[in-house]
Amino acid sequence: MNNRIEYWVKIPIGPIHPALEEPEKFIITLDGERIINVDVKLGYNLRGLEWIAMRRNYIQLMYLAERICGICSFSHNHTYTRAVEEMAGIEVPERAEYIRVIVGELERIHSHLLNLGVVGHAIGYDTVLHMSWLAREKVMDILEAIGGNRVNYAMNTIGGVRRDIEEKHKRAILDMIAYYKNEIMPKIEEIFLYDPTVEARLRDAGVIPKRIAIEYSAQGPTARGSGVKKDVRYNEKLGVYPDLGVKPITPKEFTGVIKGDVFDRMVVRVGELWQSMELIERAFDQMPEGKIKAFAKDNLILLKLKKADGEGIGRYEAPRGEVIHYVRANPGKDIPSKWKAREPTFPNLFAVARALVGEQLADVPVAIASIDPCLSCTDRVAVIDARTGKRKILMEKDLLRASIEKTREINPKVSVKPEVVGIGCPRGDLL
Amino acid sequence: MTPEEFLERIKEKFEVDARISENKMPHPRKRVWINVDRAKFKELMKFIKETDPKAQFSIIIGEDRGDYLSAEYHLELFYEQEPSLSVIVATACPKDDPKIPSLGDVFPSSVSYERENKEFLGIEFEGIPDPRRLFLPDDFPEGIYPLRRDDKGIKPEMVKNAGHPYRLGGAKK
Repeated sequence: MNNRIEYWVKIPIGPIHPALEEPEKFIITLDGERIINVDVKLGYNLRGLEWIAMRRNYIQLMYLAERICGICSFSHNHTYTRAVEEMAGIEVPERAEYIRVIVGELERIHSHLLNLGVVGHAIGYDTVLHMSWLAREKVMDILEAIGGNRVNYAMNTIGGVRRDIEEKHKRAILDMIAYYKNEIMPKIEEIFLYDPTVEARLRDAGVIPKRIAIEYSAQGPTARGSGVKKDVRYNEKLGVYPDLGVKPITPKEFTGVIKGDVFDRMVVRVGELWQSMELIERAFDQMPEGKIKAFAKDNLILLKLKKADGEGIGRYEAPRGEVIHYVRANPGKDIPSKWKAREPTFPNLFAVARALVGEQLADVPVAIASIDPCLSCTDRVAVIDARTGKRKILMEKDLLRASIEKTREINPKVSVKPEVVGIGCPRGDLL
Repeated sequence: MTPEEFLERIKEKFEVDARISENKMPHPRKRVWINVDRAKFKELMKFIKETDPKAQFSIIIGEDRGDYLSAEYHLELFYEQEPSLSVIVATACPKDDPKIPSLGDVFPSSVSYERENKEFLGIEFEGIPDPRRLFLPDDFPEGIYPLRRDDKGIKPEMVKNAGHPYRLGGAKK
């Protein structure tokens, strides 16, 4: 047909969306059901941390870095201290390195359990959400017992850790691991590896091919799910991790195939739960006695760092991927001249956005941070007529009318008026 | 490929100022730091990409260094071997001509970092495929770059004007 009208429908998801973890905006351009472009707009939660950091000293920065993220708070703090240690050439006592491993892996367990629950929720398995978040409480209690807080436990300091892990903590952690291994992991494997409904829903959804994962530098489970064998703990010979035998986990070891879809990413997370528990057990076996920090007092750190010159990079495998921090000294001052952090979600977002092109709209929810876009909440839809370039904003009422007209084509007896039920989105009136 | 071999390969082709650092962790870890002029910069990055086609682009660290702006690029090469190769390539541009070639066609993932550095430091990336803003709001004043330390940075009156931090002259009453 010659006078076929092409519709490009733009659907904004975010910045504020009930299911989004963070305020970010995705503008999805659709041609029918097929996605032809995904645009990401960030900055709705821009707190200007780097700008604040221009006025903070090394010790204060540690706590500022911790507040970048609530879930990976240990990771940022840890990576920042590694960057400073590399810059100033500070040696960390071995026991402190083991404590860092233990707390880091505990954090990975809680973050992965959280994500497994969120994905279960996104596909409508709320029982999975409740189960995995209930299981997560156990590790949160342990973290609270060790660090005094459920999040932001401030374990690290430059040149070591601030709190020791005592015999009672060790007992509690080993109890927790036994509980997870015997009661939780079989259930989680049953759901995420063998359940036919979950497999049908997550298989081939939001596929990130290996080529795109490499090209767009995807990180963490997103990259490993696509078959990119990299894990900073392994690549970087980080701390004492090589002694514990860490290896990147890919879905190949569990299911035998790598497809790079949401299912594979979940398989990687399940595998990393097992890996984290083993790492903690091995760390307890090998942990030596001794000092936990290189400096007895915080002011000694500042004295040492005032003399430092040079630059350092810290890298760490956070639950979501590689965290990288850069610090450059400012000789004679206790304020670094530059501190820069990069979190793994930043490249992952663009990798996912690129990978969604050509997929169906129905794959967006599980692919983008396991969210479920509530299309009835979509306040407005802009339709651009490809021939004339005219732009028309459709309100909720117009959509309803169009929908009713389509129903009438099938069944002419329908006689309903397009009425908006409920309050609707007040912002729809602004445009 | 070890850091030393890599650096030799680079030095055969390019005149660069480079060093290898080593940290004092229980397992020592080497990094290659390369300093290159911006005229040769893109060529060097293409050469690195040829050396390892799977190279991963990690971060651009832009900084206001007084009279010039610097940009440091961290790359990870050969990440399938145990100590992967961690390379930092630094380049710089003067403040009155803040131009650095864009790497959008070599490493597609670099575009988002270039957009970030463009809005925060005012470095113009020549040939960037997508020059829009990424983090800053669309109504943020032009010509102000928050991470600059000179008069193009954030002025104290912008900070005091809480609630409307970027509307000069205060909120309308």
